Amino acid sequence: MTAAVSRGRGDRLSNGMVGFLLTVPALVLLAAVVCYPLVAGLVTSLFKQSLVLPGRRFVGLDNFADVLSGDFLPALGHTLVFTICTTLLSFLLGFALALALNVGLRGRAVLRGLFLFPWVLPSVVVSFLWLWIFNANYGVLNGLLMRMHLIGEPVAWLGQPGTAMLAVIVAKTWNSFPWMMVMLLAGLQTVPRDLHEVAALDGAGALRRFRSVTLPHLRPMIGMVLLLEMIWNFQHFDTIYVMTGGGPAGATTTFAVSVYDTAFKGFDLGAAGAIGALWMLILSVFVVGYVWLSERRSG
Amino acid sequence: MSPTLPSLSRRGVLGLLGAGALTVAGCAPSAGGSGGTKGVSDDGVKDFTFTGWSLNEAATKKPLADIVAGYEKSSGAHVRTVSYPYNDYLNQLLLQVRGGNVTGVAQCDGAWLATLKATGKLTDLGAIAKGAGYTDASLALGQVDGTQYGLPWTSGAIGMVGNQTLFDRAGIKAVPSTVDDFEAMLVSLKTLGNGIVPYAAMTKVDQLKDIIPWMWTFGSPVVDNGKVTVGDDGSVEAVTWYKKLYDRKLIAPALDRFDARALFGQGKVGVYEDAPVGRGAVVAAAKDKSIADHLTPFARPVQAKGDKPVAFAWGGVLVVLQGKGSGAAAKFARSVTADQATSAGYFVRTGNPPTTTRALADPKVTADRFVSDFGKRVTVTARTDPFWAYPQYAQIEQALATQVQAALTGKSTPKQAMADARAAMQKLVDG
Amino acid sequence: MTAATAAPERTAAREVPRRAARRRGRGARTGALAAVVVIGCFGLLPVYWLVATAFSPTGDVFAFPPHLVPRHVTLAHFDNLLHTPKLLRYLVNSVVVSLVTAALSVVVSAYCAYSFSKFRYRGRRSLMYLVLSSQMFPQALLLITIYLVFSATGLLNSYLALVLSFATFTLPLCIWMLKGFFDTIPDELIEAARVDGAPNRVIIHRIMMPVAAPGLVAAGLFAFIRGWNDFIFALTLAGPDRQTLPPGLVNTYVGEFQTAWPDLMAASLVTSLPVVIAFVVLQRHLVAGLASGAVKG
Repeated sequence: MTAAVSRGRGDRLSNGMVGFLLTVPALVLLAAVVCYPLVAGLVTSLFKQSLVLPGRRFVGLDNFADVLSGDFLPALGHTLVFTICTTLLSFLLGFALALALNVGLRGRAVLRGLFLFPWVLPSVVVSFLWLWIFNANYGVLNGLLMRMHLIGEPVAWLGQPGTAMLAVIVAKTWNSFPWMMVMLLAGLQTVPRDLHEVAALDGAGALRRFRSVTLPHLRPMIGMVLLLEMIWNFQHFDTIYVMTGGGPAGATTTFAVSVYDTAFKGFDLGAAGAIGALWMLILSVFVVGYVWLSERRSG
Repeated sequence: MSPTLPSLSRRGVLGLLGAGALTVAGCAPSAGGSGGTKGVSDDGVKDFTFTGWSLNEAATKKPLADIVAGYEKSSGAHVRTVSYPYNDYLNQLLLQVRGGNVTGVAQCDGAWLATLKATGKLTDLGAIAKGAGYTDASLALGQVDGTQYGLPWTSGAIGMVGNQTLFDRAGIKAVPSTVDDFEAMLVSLKTLGNGIVPYAAMTKVDQLKDIIPWMWTFGSPVVDNGKVTVGDDGSVEAVTWYKKLYDRKLIAPALDRFDARALFGQGKVGVYEDAPVGRGAVVAAAKDKSIADHLTPFARPVQAKGDKPVAFAWGGVLVVLQGKGSGAAAKFARSVTADQATSAGYFVRTGNPPTTTRALADPKVTADRFVSDFGKRVTVTARTDPFWAYPQYAQIEQALATQVQAALTGKSTPKQAMADARAAMQKLVDG
Repeated sequence: MTAATAAPERTAAREVPRRAARRRGRGARTGALAAVVVIGCFGLLPVYWLVATAFSPTGDVFAFPPHLVPRHVTLAHFDNLLHTPKLLRYLVNSVVVSLVTAALSVVVSAYCAYSFSKFRYRGRRSLMYLVLSSQMFPQALLLITIYLVFSATGLLNSYLALVLSFATFTLPLCIWMLKGFFDTIPDELIEAARVDGAPNRVIIHRIMMPVAAPGLVAAGLFAFIRGWNDFIFALTLAGPDRQTLPPGLVNTYVGEFQTAWPDLMAASLVTSLPVVIAFVVLQRHLVAGLASGAVKG
């Protein structure tokens, strides 16, 4: 929308004060539970402070030096791998399933409901279920693969760096793809049928129709689900904490696990604050980029 | 606002620069709880809370519930029970203790006593412990810096436990006494096939601290006078050897004690390490309950003939937290740990060795072949984990475990990993 | 449009592509079926395993290789649930906290979102971005201060602690969703009311909120499930009496000496079922509320 129109509308609705007042309850709440804790947490990064012992001591940037020389970069890598893989995988599966269900199979409503199951289970339960499936010594996955002669002996999925990351990605993907499916299916159902028919009459193949009719129509929806999933996965904690605790040898330690463990298991609030501060720094790069993009798009 | 609260309004970070130097010397292990330790006092409150992990576990849940119910009946007190799983226990208990939300009795692993003590919320139980007849060794388990913060509840060790049936099948005549014999035995157990894990050593971070006795075995002191010596020849040799077993699949990856017990119960494990209490879980997971008769405890093999074998001391205590009902709580703690009928009865049902001289001499205790063998062969070789003395205990062992795991999974070499471990551990030890 | 205005004499010429389209349709249907089956296996086999484990005797589940179809079926683990009164408490806590969180978030966010959508004032844009980007702030970091503050003020182990901490993630999300929804409601509705001289109060409560009802329901459902799912805040702030299901299940079934898989699975199944059913029934609202904002917005 253009600036002129928006100014015009602003005049019509007038009283910006009323508008601002309406936001006050939300802003107060957010200031109390988000902004203050955020700033206080960042301030902590400059102190040596223990969860257990009383008092704290200013140490400047020592915590940052420690964290950066420690496991920060690997944690960044794990966070990115986890976020990108789970988001893309659940998107692909969700989209494929949505397209398939949109063809008009019988019992679609029932299927949609059934597939929602993994999403509604608490993520802790999901983690336990997959922990059980991936169990090295009596897990069903090893049992199945051995029965199919794909592996000769049980694989310790959660015991090796590579497969452990794979396992948590699979578990989280299983947890999120139904949501993607439901959202995209809803989007697909708003694609006007006649647009498709016209395109078909004009001789456009399925792929062509998908690219020139379905995708453009779905773009805002796709953008939204991808963005939300990214945000959530970036700070996802439950699955990794329950399934691997960040191991083996730190191979699945993401930022969220690292901050939690440092603060609440290692009792080192200063170092946890420093990881959080660096995390914010990296995020703000993304946020600034995103804001810039959307500002540009909306003119 | 309390000094631990980070505050937005606090301007002048510079001012703090000066003040910070004055305020806290707070990271040394002895500085916590500077307000002086309170003893318990009978405030007339009869009801109290009992927090523990044993309230939650298959092997101990029922017997412990019975003890609590019996105590309630005889004393007229109401005991509220709260449980957390062992792996999250310290974390959860600390969050509650620190927030001042927990009073009464709490179960505490000997390893965590220094950490809990640092909160300054524990009571001095010296007067309560007097005259109860605890053995000196077990009393030591409940002390930090000479003060009796815990009443010893069970005191023993974590040691090697073998499956005699598998030993016989593999033609193993005698339990090995040296590391080389031990390795040869593992190889012969491996040949039994059938997915048998010869040695279900801990390979998950949670319990990888089990590597420390092996480091002792290979001649590393691990920590000496506040200096971490991990990274020396003995420790690197121990990790190299562990990795060799790992690579030859004589030990299995991603194993923790739950898995080891369950697998042992299924007859799939030759040897694993555990405290006597683990027998309950082994039998619970077993189809063939007679496995209880085939558990063979033995001393850890030594590097060269004539060396002294070692084991990890392990034990649990009951602590009493300051606050309402501490007097009643302390009475309960003493009754659970020192009343002969209670502790001997608990032993019979769980295998947790008692801590008083009289209970240890109880026929019910001495009649248990497995536990008395365990005591004679393993417990006598026990040494206390040197890191127990530090409130940062959990972090220190985590730092070690992570690096051992890095070496096992090939992310690092044993030498490099142990050098990294030393750097991280020393920093934590120094606070 | 084009189809409707087509001249009748072109109908014959069209028959050919239409038949081809139908053939393609059959191909698509087969492909769709295949996709549903493959993804269905991934999606539903774990659920099957959850159910199968819940009905297996403890001794059987530690067998390897596992029996894909349980050899013996037992209800013992469900019977155990009846003797675990803690679970009911966790369930009640979860429901109470999630409901209150959802209600609070929806009410507070609705005003805020309405303001963001329909008013223009200085600083609106910056506020909006601040609120929206606060979804990304590290929860684990916020948790540290929240824990310290709650612990100093005696708020730990209370419903209030959970509701407030859950607001850190439900508020931004609800505001964001509802703003999208309000954006789709034409301004003319408000203008017409203004012409009739209706005050803001009436416009908001009598006109906008009823129109936005599907969006409010969707936002509420979303907030509910996010609260229902939370683990990290409840684990740290709730204590033994106010614990919700996720940390409650962990604390009940994971022990040093044994992980009681069948009991854990049975408990997961029973405690999840009411919410699963509620969501399957209500999913249309969720989808409608979310989709309209996203597709048109």
